[in-house]
Amino acid sequence: MMTTFVRASTAAAAIFAAQAAIADVTVYTAGPAALIEQLAEGFKAETGINIEFFQATTGQVMARIEAEAANPVVDVLISASWDTATDFTERGWLLPYTSPNAASVPDFLKTDTAVAQGVSALAIAWNPNSGTPRPTEWSDLTGADFNNLVTLPDPAQSGATFELVAALASSQGWDLFNGLAANDAIVAGANAEALNPVLQGAKAAVFGAVDYISLNGQAKGESIEVIFPASGTVIAPRPVMIMEWSQNQDDAKAFVDYILSDAGQAIVAGQNLMPARSDVAANRPLIADLTILPIDAAAVYASRGETLATFAETFAQ
Amino acid sequence: MAKTQSQTSPVVILAAAGLLVVVAVPFLFILLQAVYPQLGRGSLAAPFSALAAAFADPKLIGMTGNTLLLGVAVALLSALVAVPLAVMRALFRVPGALLWDVLFLIPFMIPPYIATLGWIMTLQPRGYLYQLLGFDLAGFLFSVPGIVFVMMLNAFPVIYFAVSRTVEAVGARYADVGRVFGATPLRAFWRITLPLSTPGLAASLLLVFSMAIEEYGTPAALGRRAGFDVLVTAIDLRVSDWPIDLPGAAILSLVLVALSFGAFLLQRWILTRKNWQTTTGKPQGGAKRALGPWTVPVVALFALVGFVATILPLLAILATALSRTISGGLAWQNMGLNNFAAILTDSTGALRALGTSLTLGVATALFAGLLGAVSAYAVVKSRARGRGLLDVLTILPSALPGIVVAVGLILAWNQPWLPMTPYNTVFILLLAYCCILLPQPVRYATAAFHQVGDNLEAAARVFGARPMVAFRRILLPLIAPSLLASMLLVFAVATRELVASVVVAPVGVRTISTYIWRQFEQGSVGLGMAMAFVTIIITTALPLIVLSLMGRRGNLL
Repeated sequence: MMTTFVRASTAAAAIFAAQAAIADVTVYTAGPAALIEQLAEGFKAETGINIEFFQATTGQVMARIEAEAANPVVDVLISASWDTATDFTERGWLLPYTSPNAASVPDFLKTDTAVAQGVSALAIAWNPNSGTPRPTEWSDLTGADFNNLVTLPDPAQSGATFELVAALASSQGWDLFNGLAANDAIVAGANAEALNPVLQGAKAAVFGAVDYISLNGQAKGESIEVIFPASGTVIAPRPVMIMEWSQNQDDAKAFVDYILSDAGQAIVAGQNLMPARSDVAANRPLIADLTILPIDAAAVYASRGETLATFAETFAQ
Repeated sequence: MAKTQSQTSPVVILAAAGLLVVVAVPFLFILLQAVYPQLGRGSLAAPFSALAAAFADPKLIGMTGNTLLLGVAVALLSALVAVPLAVMRALFRVPGALLWDVLFLIPFMIPPYIATLGWIMTLQPRGYLYQLLGFDLAGFLFSVPGIVFVMMLNAFPVIYFAVSRTVEAVGARYADVGRVFGATPLRAFWRITLPLSTPGLAASLLLVFSMAIEEYGTPAALGRRAGFDVLVTAIDLRVSDWPIDLPGAAILSLVLVALSFGAFLLQRWILTRKNWQTTTGKPQGGAKRALGPWTVPVVALFALVGFVATILPLLAILATALSRTISGGLAWQNMGLNNFAAILTDSTGALRALGTSLTLGVATALFAGLLGAVSAYAVVKSRARGRGLLDVLTILPSALPGIVVAVGLILAWNQPWLPMTPYNTVFILLLAYCCILLPQPVRYATAAFHQVGDNLEAAARVFGARPMVAFRRILLPLIAPSLLASMLLVFAVATRELVASVVVAPVGVRTISTYIWRQFEQGSVGLGMAMAFVTIIITTALPLIVLSLMGRRGNLL
């Protein structure tokens, strides 16, 4: 009886001790699961430091951080929207850190408190089996060939889609979106919900698809092509941030260094994202190959509510 | 006598303590969040400042109306489908009865978001229906009737199982008395059997109503395209759209709670108006009647419902799981076992997620079942003061969207001054599942207790049994069939719970649903569907094995 009790207590204590030792750095990330898994594995192999991660959409990660704010758990945050970095900097939640490996990251992809892990861009994802002519421009999707065949991710749910809508609306007004609405385009939830009908052939093209997901699908043999309009698109850098409350700041910094190392950036490129470092190659179009629409982030986010309201009005039948 | 009056039964104390931890604590923090917008950051500044903005939202009335409409429509349509089937199943010898029971059990095992995606992939233009038969039903699917139809297919088994069991318990005995006094069979059924089955019907209608107004996946996937906004989708937007609006979400949740509470009061009014006791200790004639010439049409009806509610969604899920690519469609050269191989070889962490979720499912079934039984006892059978409050606590969770329960749990259990906390361990998932699923065993056990005569417990007490012993030896066995059935449902639903899991899962822990959902999010629909199929098979097979090992299969389903 006594020995059983002692044994049980020892086992319980061991479990708690093991739990305490598990997480050296806790990462909350909005991004592909395979990406954070491989980064954690590579980092552990190189430094022996454990990474524990929580992976969800940007919104869910933020909800968790907001609810935890009285007693935060997260050390490193990787968001899919640069807006989070701006907002968290204003709140004073971020630790200033410039990684030595960030030297070749272009200036617009780094600040004192955040640096891009990788970059995705928005594109037209077109199904070549759909029987429609290959689109090359956003406005092609307002034509009769694409009547009732276009999906858009909801800008209220996808930060990147919001930036595309804001950038296109400010550079050419709402005509494009009026045309899409008149052409019976549908607004379909988050990115996956917009892409799925296009893959199955219910629709022909996504207006504003996140490129790496479609590129990964293409690599698996899906009938999908990723087209970047020459008139311009927006990019979605994915900022890495160290929280100022982190108890493991040195390990967190080492993890940021690893993400920006040759090995880390190769893992990023392996997921069909653009590496943040301009001197790392990838088997896909890079920032220099794309026309990027200028965005005045401060102005765009200040009028976010109005933009979303106008968008919703445009597509409300 | 005075002594027993002043002593509160240990069963009641157990119920109160459990409900306090599982339901009251997270709910309290949601209330506090609604009042104090800065609660998450540990500040009580600016109380009530968020209320005005939330109630000034011009869409609020429309969304509330839509929510109510959805709940009522799903409950009524479910009853329309389930009640006739349940009555036939209870009173007549339906050929293949066990098979139909199993078929109607499976819709519980299919996660609603998976079923909806299956319907989308079947009915949308160029979907599976079009690929096989050359037409599609997209216009119907992406409409309010389409939403109600899909949600009914998921919910009608609640009513089917509850009503068929209640009618069976009422039996034909009372109707036979009516027949002796000259009533026609139909009249005896309408005036005697059906009214006596009210507890089961009312409880299951309430459950379906609450499930429908709380359900997220289907209204989110179909409703947005039909321009049909409900409270849950609005709450989710506030919780997942930056900047996060926790107070707004908390306030909308309270509106949802109010709706569910209204339905609960209605149900309680129905149940407490009359005495429904039919299990009196007297033996029950168990013989069922033959269907005679009605055999073929009745079997055809069972088959039709089973096909649409279970076989079709399963086929859609399987077809997607077997497809190498989604764009390849239903073609032999596009079929393969790659997705299943990826799961079985654990190359994507699928097996670990399965293990975690199945363990959590079993633990949730045990805890929620026990808490449900003692809570129902405290409410129905005890004379304890404040039992009305306990009753309210048991119904609260069914009105709280999973995501709100999750946020409430984080707010409650991540306070820096707590000496120890379940937060960031798997126990937080257990708490979340127990909270969300508690209404299932409570409603089933409540209905069962309503039909157990008070004289049985009184007899045990007369012969010297203490309250705990009387509960364990007399009452629990009497409600065990109902309770066990609800626990099996809890197991199935907990194993695949999505919305709360996504938000509160501790770092490094993956459940089945978060695994599936991540595959969808990253464009691997086939892999997600393969995992869903494996899960449905396991969560269906395990309860059936348990039941047949206990040798009481016919009784329980």
